[in-house]
Amino acid sequence: MECEASLKNSAAILILLTIFSHVNSWYFKCENGFCIRNADPNDKSNYPTLELCSLVCSSFHNVWPQPTGKMASLKNIVRINPNKIEIKLNGPPGTDHFIADNILHFSKKLKKEEPYNCTEKVYPLKIILTPKSNNPHLDLNTNESYTLEIIYEDDTITASINAYSIFGIRHGLETLFQLIIPYEDGNQKCIATLSYVYISDKPVYKHRGLLLDTGRNFLSVDTIKRHLDGMAASKLNVLHWHITDSQSFPLEVGRLPNMTKYGAYSEKHIYSESAIKDLLQYANRRGVRILPEIDAPSHAGNGWQWGEEAGLGNLAVCINRQPWRSFCIQPPCGQLNPTNQNLYSVLKDLYSHMRDHFPDTGMFHMGGDEVFIPCWNSTQEIIDYLRGKPLTTETFLDLWGEFQRKALAAYDRAFEHEDTSIVVWTSHITQPEVIRKYLSNERYIIQTWVPESNINLITELLKLEYRVIISTKDKWYLDHGFWGSTLYYNWKTVYENKMYKYNHEGILGGEVCMWGELVDDNNIDSRVWPRAAAAAERLWSNPRSTAEFAQYRFFAQRKRLVDLGIHAEALTPKWCVDSQGECKTYL
Amino acid sequence: MFLYVVWNVSRDVMIVSDLLPSSIRRERMKQGDLRRALMVVTLLCAVLFLYLYWQQTSRQEPTLIFNYEHAFLPNYKKPQPPQWTWECVNQRCERRHVTTSHQSKLQSLATCGMLCGSMQLWPQPTGPVTLGSRAVSFNHLQMELMHGVAGPAKAMLEQAYRAFNDSVVSLVQRAEYVKDHPDVKKFIVKVTVNHPEIVRLKLDTSEGYNVVVKAYNDEIVANVTAKTFFGARHGLETLSQLIWWDEYAPGGGSLRVLKGATVQDAPAFPYRGLMVDTSRNFMSIETLKRVLVAMAASKLNVFHWHITDSQSFPLVVPGYPEFSRTGSYSPDMTYSPEEVRGLVEFARLRGIRVLLEVDTPAHAGNGWTWGPKAGLGELAVCVNEKPWNIYCGEPPCGQLNPDNPAVYTVLENLYKYLLDLSGEREIFHIGGDEVNLECWAQHLQKNVVANNYTDLHDLWGDFTLKAISRLQQANGGTKIPHVIVWSSKLSQRPYISKYLDKSNVVVQSWGASQWTDTPDLIADGYRVILSHVDAWYLDCGFGRWRETGEAACDPYRPWQTVYSHRPWQQFHLPKNQIMGGEVCLWSEQVDESSLDARLWPRAAAFAERVWTDPQLDLATFNIHEDVYTRLNTHRDRLVARGIGAEALWPQWCSQNPGMCL
Repeated sequence: MECEASLKNSAAILILLTIFSHVNSWYFKCENGFCIRNADPNDKSNYPTLELCSLVCSSFHNVWPQPTGKMASLKNIVRINPNKIEIKLNGPPGTDHFIADNILHFSKKLKKEEPYNCTEKVYPLKIILTPKSNNPHLDLNTNESYTLEIIYEDDTITASINAYSIFGIRHGLETLFQLIIPYEDGNQKCIATLSYVYISDKPVYKHRGLLLDTGRNFLSVDTIKRHLDGMAASKLNVLHWHITDSQSFPLEVGRLPNMTKYGAYSEKHIYSESAIKDLLQYANRRGVRILPEIDAPSHAGNGWQWGEEAGLGNLAVCINRQPWRSFCIQPPCGQLNPTNQNLYSVLKDLYSHMRDHFPDTGMFHMGGDEVFIPCWNSTQEIIDYLRGKPLTTETFLDLWGEFQRKALAAYDRAFEHEDTSIVVWTSHITQPEVIRKYLSNERYIIQTWVPESNINLITELLKLEYRVIISTKDKWYLDHGFWGSTLYYNWKTVYENKMYKYNHEGILGGEVCMWGELVDDNNIDSRVWPRAAAAAERLWSNPRSTAEFAQYRFFAQRKRLVDLGIHAEALTPKWCVDSQGECKTYL
Repeated sequence: MFLYVVWNVSRDVMIVSDLLPSSIRRERMKQGDLRRALMVVTLLCAVLFLYLYWQQTSRQEPTLIFNYEHAFLPNYKKPQPPQWTWECVNQRCERRHVTTSHQSKLQSLATCGMLCGSMQLWPQPTGPVTLGSRAVSFNHLQMELMHGVAGPAKAMLEQAYRAFNDSVVSLVQRAEYVKDHPDVKKFIVKVTVNHPEIVRLKLDTSEGYNVVVKAYNDEIVANVTAKTFFGARHGLETLSQLIWWDEYAPGGGSLRVLKGATVQDAPAFPYRGLMVDTSRNFMSIETLKRVLVAMAASKLNVFHWHITDSQSFPLVVPGYPEFSRTGSYSPDMTYSPEEVRGLVEFARLRGIRVLLEVDTPAHAGNGWTWGPKAGLGELAVCVNEKPWNIYCGEPPCGQLNPDNPAVYTVLENLYKYLLDLSGEREIFHIGGDEVNLECWAQHLQKNVVANNYTDLHDLWGDFTLKAISRLQQANGGTKIPHVIVWSSKLSQRPYISKYLDKSNVVVQSWGASQWTDTPDLIADGYRVILSHVDAWYLDCGFGRWRETGEAACDPYRPWQTVYSHRPWQQFHLPKNQIMGGEVCLWSEQVDESSLDARLWPRAAAFAERVWTDPQLDLATFNIHEDVYTRLNTHRDRLVARGIGAEALWPQWCSQNPGMCL
């Protein structure tokens, strides 16, 4: 310990030297909600850093996403004694691990600021956490609301977080730690918060998601965890994990070892059962539920080649067939074979695996998009099965409907109940004219990925009493802008995606989608972040205000993400981040 | 239920993490516990110190450096046998599922790719290439440099060899493989340089080289022959591309090299540049080194460092400390002279010259405001002026004050410093673009000099003439042979002939390729460097970060567009006036978080355009399958060297060459 202390001292001396060698040339003062650069060091209303000024001055005290309930505060800054932070947990037993893990997570932020050198008076911080329930289970109906109160009195700062669930407590901690920031002034380096804050907060939408695709390119467990950190920081609560696609099947399925044997890119590109367990726990601790998707009957190819050899017939057809343009919309081709009855028992095994290795959150994503009829229509086995029927689109849609019905039955047999809500993408069979024929509105949730101009579809589906999840493709598809004629949507466009013209209880929420063709561990961070955080505020708060109004708060959120180790993209020259109001356009 | 934890942030996370494993402790740590823990830690520290002390006295400088950081995929369980093997069918690697009949002759994708007809070299050599179809295994400890190079190039060559060695080591995925028994006992790299006295890259420096790899009994000998160090370095780069990691080699993987190869190569263009802007957003030296590593891997040879702009001035200038003191974003967002010199040397060893651009008279604001305090008068005008859209193209505004004679003195000293830092005296970039005449008109109107100009372009022209003459003085009275300016109004008719001397000035033409800029410049006899915004600006495509501004350069250009841009063919321009090309990355919407992915592999696609300059099919713009395969291999190489390059496609397409086109 001693040697470490001496190292720390020398580091501190170095830091002091750099501070002295560079005179602070700018101060900041609060004017009309902006932190304005001020060169006059003697101005009494100065704050020594932009961050401190923004804590006081910025809308919602710089909290991202903006709280939706009552908010009250005083604009005085109090310094916290970093050596005297106590955490008290009041509540039913069984929440210790969850809370301790989160405290450790948030403490990383404070450790970054070390070593501290608080020269002015500092006060102890007492954090009191009071969850009502100890339910560790996260699902669509988890109550995520919380209240946070910070009070400074009797030379002590007390932060109380009350929530129904531990996930609400976690959100409260997230907000609290956004309000605890470094206090740097001259050679002082400390931490501080506001002397009084009251926030009551809860999300507008229950389903606030990010889709990651590990079928096109594999993502390491570390990368997925990094995204979970970013999601937690932005209060997103659903990781929609598009695990498999026609390119690869990286999910280890104990009952069906051939899935990865034939489907993984290599033995290293597999999510083992232990990796999944680790990820699921990590996600839960970050307040994120994982919504797994095994896309079917289309977007399935590699991983399904072994049927014939195992005596089960062709489980899928058109796999890797060339020329691919004749059999699918993206190489490699592949579509499940709905006419092979063995397929459904394999599916049941697959779903049983999901039951055993993923928590039952009451939701499962079956994909169900982009069936390419020419594939089925060129497969003799399928044509034979349809004997007598005209080979029209309708016939094939019926076949698709038949697949969906049998897949659902396999799922229900695996789960031994019929309570799971099944999510499917909008497709030919979710068209309002036909959807009732194929999908019941009690069992199915429809994820819409139509462009904004096609918002009528959502109205129609709501009229038919389907629940929907919105992923407006010309705003929330994060892969756009790098292929074909698609355009990149910058954070303002993402932010201003009006979810829908009015709040309807059938709208569960939305998701931004990161399709994986052109990203892998090396570049995914900057594609997703900070844009996913812009969507997060849309989904948590659904504000009426513009992106312009949110921008400096958003810049602060981008910095938080970078501090978490996420390679979030830069949004503007740093000069514009530091000079609030200076880069706006004058007309 | 009540939990009470004392959490001491400044002491150690140990206290908190102690809580985690099984149960949370419900009380304070006992005093004795803490003392015991401290004792243990102190002891550990002592042992560590002893170890470090011993290390520093007994460790010799190794002749070969084994220092690689490789991101191993996390292993959650013990490795399984490989599931895929690749077979070469009609010069294409086909993926096959492993069956029992395969077991003895599994072939990894990397090995198949190297041995199956298509070469995996990037950029493709311009001379004849023959590659063997067999390979031998070796390990990097067997590699040895032999050379008879004396004189100044000797030390450089040895350093370049280390960089080469690092590249080879970056491929290694299993450190224990050195204990296996490879096919050969020695891997000798013989380098011959005919002109070891040439240690500075010039436009006419020969960068060509020959590589011959041969196997003798249990030795591999690679002969790299070149006229200059710079050619030899490229030869080593090519040699590193004949080496790969075969993950299916017996024992769990090994390095392999082709058993025979000859490569003859020389670049198509002498100027193959890449520009990074460190003013809009700061990039650390570490990040810039990554850029240089990837440039060297792709045989790019000019790092154009747009080091300052109106937003910030991160360069520390000892003669004028106020530049960075008032102009940098923060004290740690600066480049000290030692750091810049270090980077210049790092680049030179990789065959890259560094051009330091301090853009003037426009694109200069923050960092230039200290004149009045220093008794020099206003060095810049309109700095941070509002509304910015009247006085400049993007906020914040700022332009040097052409009326103030002190400006030219400061410039001369600054130029002297830049010449000294970079050691570069053949090419100099003075910036010179996007002057906003309204700024000068508003701020200089009361001044006699300003009134002498009816057309302020002439004021701009005179500034440029003065700047160039000050540059000559800074260079000890000797003309810099090639002074680069960005294309602008001044580089157009009628001003160009009046102010820019075609024997001395080179124009970096950045307008859209359809504009008349480039053909006009060529017709008027100027030499150009091409950086067309619609192909070679790598920052485009991320939407507008400010609401107005004409320079919206969307959309994003994928690597295919970068690669297929061949303006001399498309617009019938004579190649002899084209010094080369440069890809540019302006940093308004990028900082070091995403720099790698913005640059790579697109800049590598560009590199083949200017090194190899392959023919373009103007009818279809079709890119051959071989280009996809080779670029993908090169991208993997960059990733192994620590570059966060973008993915080209789903990995399935890498594993099934030709099947995604």
